[in-house]
Amino acid sequence: MKHLKGIVIVAMLLSVIKSQAQEKWFTRNGKITFFSETPAENIDANNNEVFSLLDPFKNEIAFQVLSTGFKFKRALMQEHFNENYMESTKFPKASFRGTIADPSKVNFNKEGTYVVAINGSLSIHGVTNKLSIPATIRVANRKIIGETKFDISLADYNIKIPSLVSKQVSETVTISVNCLYEPYDR
Amino acid sequence: MRIILTTVLFFLVKVLPAQDSLSNLLDKEVNIESKGKKQFTYATFKGTHLVNSRTIETLGKHDLDFRVSHRFGDIGGEYGGEKSFFGMENSSDVGISFDYGITDRLMVGISRAKGATSIRQLYEASLKYKLLRQTEDGNIPVSVTAFGNAVVSSMSSNIKANTPDHFSSFADRMSYTGQLLVARKFSEHLSLMLMPTWVHSNYVINNDQNDIFALGIGGRMKITKRIALVADYFRVFRNAKSISNFKTNGLTFYNPLGAGLEFETGGHVFDFTFTNSTAILENQFIPYTTTSWTQWRFRWGFNLSRIFSTKKHK
Repeated sequence: MKHLKGIVIVAMLLSVIKSQAQEKWFTRNGKITFFSETPAENIDANNNEVFSLLDPFKNEIAFQVLSTGFKFKRALMQEHFNENYMESTKFPKASFRGTIADPSKVNFNKEGTYVVAINGSLSIHGVTNKLSIPATIRVANRKIIGETKFDISLADYNIKIPSLVSKQVSETVTISVNCLYEPYDR
Repeated sequence: MRIILTTVLFFLVKVLPAQDSLSNLLDKEVNIESKGKKQFTYATFKGTHLVNSRTIETLGKHDLDFRVSHRFGDIGGEYGGEKSFFGMENSSDVGISFDYGITDRLMVGISRAKGATSIRQLYEASLKYKLLRQTEDGNIPVSVTAFGNAVVSSMSSNIKANTPDHFSSFADRMSYTGQLLVARKFSEHLSLMLMPTWVHSNYVINNDQNDIFALGIGGRMKITKRIALVADYFRVFRNAKSISNFKTNGLTFYNPLGAGLEFETGGHVFDFTFTNSTAILENQFIPYTTTSWTQWRFRWGFNLSRIFSTKKHK
């Protein structure tokens, strides 16, 4: 009987004090920017409604973003982006799921900045490709910040650029991601 | 004892990682969030005009649209055929316009049209405002835009009384259009629109109508990513007395019908059209279309639109 009481207390304690490495981390307002650069025109767009979950316990990370959430400086560009390139009605979401390739390099219980590689699959425009991207994970008190920057080729995702605008739209675009994670409490 | 065990189990379950995979959890979160969010339907139409009619679309904030519209002469009939190279050597109306987006919902415009009936040399000022925007979740099933214009003719007045271009005062030169545009994008490929329209002319000849109502219907069907079929039609409600009076003078009115192909090439929209109406502005083609498709009295024409962004790039 005494034993049981002890177990109950330990269990209760465990449920309250989880270490940072054991809980999941979440954001619903992460940022993704993409940048297309040609001598004729630079195009950039921001999305501040990126959903991401990070599970340090399993070394897993997942992202989801709505194509229509990208904001352009010009309304017409935004319309073309959704209608002609991303086909947002057909493919509303882009997503990424991956694992930290070298989990030993990061300690989620210790404040610091860790450079890791993330292996995973990126789905855009209905096409999924495997890729490995470098990322920076900064661990702070009750907060985790994840950052990455990488290039993708539009052709890999079956996004065609008409020859008429090939001078304005680059074949390769740079994607930057910045997420501030907070403990996931659901 | 049992209570304690249950409590222990309860806590253990809570501490254990959830069975859901990360992606499933994320799906759930995204769905919860997107449920409460309004997502406006985009690109119901390409550009601010269809063939003859306007569309529910306005320009983005700080965007400037430069348009050139042209209607050639009759393809066949008395004035068409080989002698005018199927109407191409005549132009029944030519218009140039500038429209500007003040906000994402409010647009102002100025235009000049040669004018097609006996009232000519037209200057137009217009306003267009998006009252309601269709949402993806279906809560708002249609987009509604209000349009209004004021048109003045700058031609010299005809000294003969009771002619359409006899202006005894400046006010006689004015005409107005008020229109409600109601559209729904049914799919990626099909958008349809209803257009209750009112045209008021300050001065008309005897037995003509100052106020004319019409109901327009228009649509756009995408054939490829960048090419679409476009068409619009106005049923004009002219009173019987006015119709018969004009008929005795040898003039029959027809409902304007336009159809064409629309090409969209990133910033440019080009319409290659066929219409029985000769004029470009509603103020003329709704009350005064006197040419009919059935007599080969239709013409080809084009609308060209180029949108410039006046917003400064950072």
